Amino acid sequence: MLTRLIVYFAYVLKKSRRYQCTKLFFYNLLENPNSRLKSYFDIFMICLVMLSVFLLIYEVDNKLGESELLFEHGVISLFIVEYLLRGWVYSDNHKIILEHYEKAKYLNVPFPLGKVAGIIIGKKIKYVFSPLALIDLLAILPSYRPLRILRVFLIFRLFKLFRYFNSIKLFANVIASRRFELATLGISLGFLVFVATTGIYLFEKPANGSQVKNLFDAFYWAIVTVATVGYGDITPQTTGGRIVAMALILIGLGILSFLVSIIVAAFNEEMDELRESSTYAELHRFDRFIIICGFGRVGQHIAAQLKKDRLHFVIIDTKEANVLKAKRQGYLVIHEDASKNGVIQNAGINKGATAVICTTGDDVINVYITLTSRHLNPDVRIISRANNQDNVKKLYQAGASNVIQPFEIAGMVVAEYIGQPVAFEAILGIIREESHIIMETLCVHPGSFVEGMNVGGIDFEQRKLMLLGIISANPAHQKHKNSYPIKNQHFYFNPEPHFVLRDGDLLVVIGREYAIDYFREQIEKSRLKNGRKR
Amino acid sequence: MKRIAVFGYSVMSLEAMSRLNQEQYSIIFIGKDDAEAALVAEKGFDTKVIDFRNDDALRSIGIGADVDILFCFYPRDFDNVFLTISARALDKDITIVAIVDDPESAEKLLAAGANKIIDPYEICGRKTHEMLTKPDITNILDNTVFGRYDLNMAQIEIPKGSCLENTKTSDLKLNEKHNLILIGVVDRELGDQLHFAIREKEHCLDAGDVLVVMGPAREIKAFKKEVEQC
Repeated sequence: MLTRLIVYFAYVLKKSRRYQCTKLFFYNLLENPNSRLKSYFDIFMICLVMLSVFLLIYEVDNKLGESELLFEHGVISLFIVEYLLRGWVYSDNHKIILEHYEKAKYLNVPFPLGKVAGIIIGKKIKYVFSPLALIDLLAILPSYRPLRILRVFLIFRLFKLFRYFNSIKLFANVIASRRFELATLGISLGFLVFVATTGIYLFEKPANGSQVKNLFDAFYWAIVTVATVGYGDITPQTTGGRIVAMALILIGLGILSFLVSIIVAAFNEEMDELRESSTYAELHRFDRFIIICGFGRVGQHIAAQLKKDRLHFVIIDTKEANVLKAKRQGYLVIHEDASKNGVIQNAGINKGATAVICTTGDDVINVYITLTSRHLNPDVRIISRANNQDNVKKLYQAGASNVIQPFEIAGMVVAEYIGQPVAFEAILGIIREESHIIMETLCVHPGSFVEGMNVGGIDFEQRKLMLLGIISANPAHQKHKNSYPIKNQHFYFNPEPHFVLRDGDLLVVIGREYAIDYFREQIEKSRLKNGRKR
Repeated sequence: MKRIAVFGYSVMSLEAMSRLNQEQYSIIFIGKDDAEAALVAEKGFDTKVIDFRNDDALRSIGIGADVDILFCFYPRDFDNVFLTISARALDKDITIVAIVDDPESAEKLLAAGANKIIDPYEICGRKTHEMLTKPDITNILDNTVFGRYDLNMAQIEIPKGSCLENTKTSDLKLNEKHNLILIGVVDRELGDQLHFAIREKEHCLDAGDVLVVMGPAREIKAFKKEVEQC
């Protein structure tokens, strides 16, 4: 009966959207490193911890008033709630129950309630004994009056900051990554201190006027000396003691510099990786972004243009110099080889990347990156650079949506400049939006006033717009003349007045930005209005 | 017919030469050596091998005389700067188009007397950006105006005594009569700026004004003929 009730309850939790949403909310608030909510919560908690520690310091000399006590209680309650919530978010009990229940049902054996309870309790105990949860607990416990004796643990409130400061966590991780070296060093240091303590005790204790009264004094002196602090409150009086001191100072210096070098080297090694992971974290905050592979001359121009448009992008390059250049400009950079699946996957080709631009100077690499990207995401837009005409076909075969040939385009620009300078500058000006006149496409939305209208019926002149043509995939238009096939669509140049606009057609217009925006707005509004009527 | 001298062998020089109408331009390619010249000659262009550092050699191909346009397409910037300086000294009116490898050299080339600087990397970067932000527009232009279809942009100057003189731009009705779209007009009285034909201002055409039109090549040709003959 109890088993059935528990399993029923687990199913209810699994199905309840409200429960899932609440849990997700608290996960985002407390644990999800990519969540913005967590950053705000962390800042709030840092302030609270600092305030409560200031209150503790104030309490040393002064008696707390009622409001301060109230604040203290408030803070402690919040700490308790946070501690419990973290415990709740730590594991999903209903999932464990259901997993075992379904397994038992499949194998046709009784549901092992005791074992499942053990697993659940085991998970929660694991949470309780995790270092950060222990710190949390120790920061709360001393506030309980009967445990006043534990007041010294109030200092753990400061350690609570570990949770909220990423840089402290980072430091701890770096130290942890050098466990072996640090342990070896710790053992040799311990041995050295032990030898020095024994030596100084043996030489100094029996001497007249000795400052070393007991073994603790000897140990204290050894630590002060090995750390090269040397307060001078205890100094060796005998020749033997002085020899021990000299040896200890020299060896201590060596060990200290060894310690520093281990930590510095660890930081150096980890730093690149850490920087990269912070790049990934920042990237995952964007819903849409572009991946630029190669930060050579072309890549730099593209990045500058995208920055101007305030579009998000990330650069992947293997060359140190290019990475440095990109960093100096403040761009997000990944110092890796974009042709590796893992790199481009981590960069988010399936998590928000709208386009991949392959713009390295080597066609072989461009083909490879194009192929990798297309394999990983069949829908992403890939624009690739071909330095050699022969490779254009290969790039399309590899899956590029568009291929750009720098030298061919430049050659074309020169020819156009010589042949039709005015016309060419005009079209460039329009594309680059240098003047206020721009070329845009406007979509004929279903239900908008333009749908089903004749081109002649829309007074483009009145709207101060110029209709260049219509892009459409609708087969109904194919009887019209002046049609130019473009990919899966047709471009109908200079459409006749009786050309009827259909749902999904794109009007290509030239005009001032605000005239185009106004027309677009009218189309949108009419669509919404008609949609409501329907 | 204008005469163009192209210096420097590259994909870009071949592309530029093949795009220029050989009926309108007489193109001569200047190679560094016979092998280079032979490669270009295979494509049907006139070639010559000279040392560009020698002013007499430059004169011998017509710089300072009948060459109107010079393309400096050497891969190294200092070669282009040297050629630009030499050519400008020989002919004050020659149009010099030079490519630049390092963006810092652009100023030097301009100071040396080049009229137009082409940075292939910049153009490629811009093009990629256009493809990203305006894929529809770029696609149309690439496939039509810049591409293989016969839809072109052209500029047509109104000659003296043409029947279009004193015509209002709104009365031209090119889209109805000629299947052309009038993109804009350069009114020489008002300067070199192009005024787009979006009915903001009425223009009365004079001799010397330039019409920028878009349309199928044969229609453009027919309209050009009509303007010249009427």
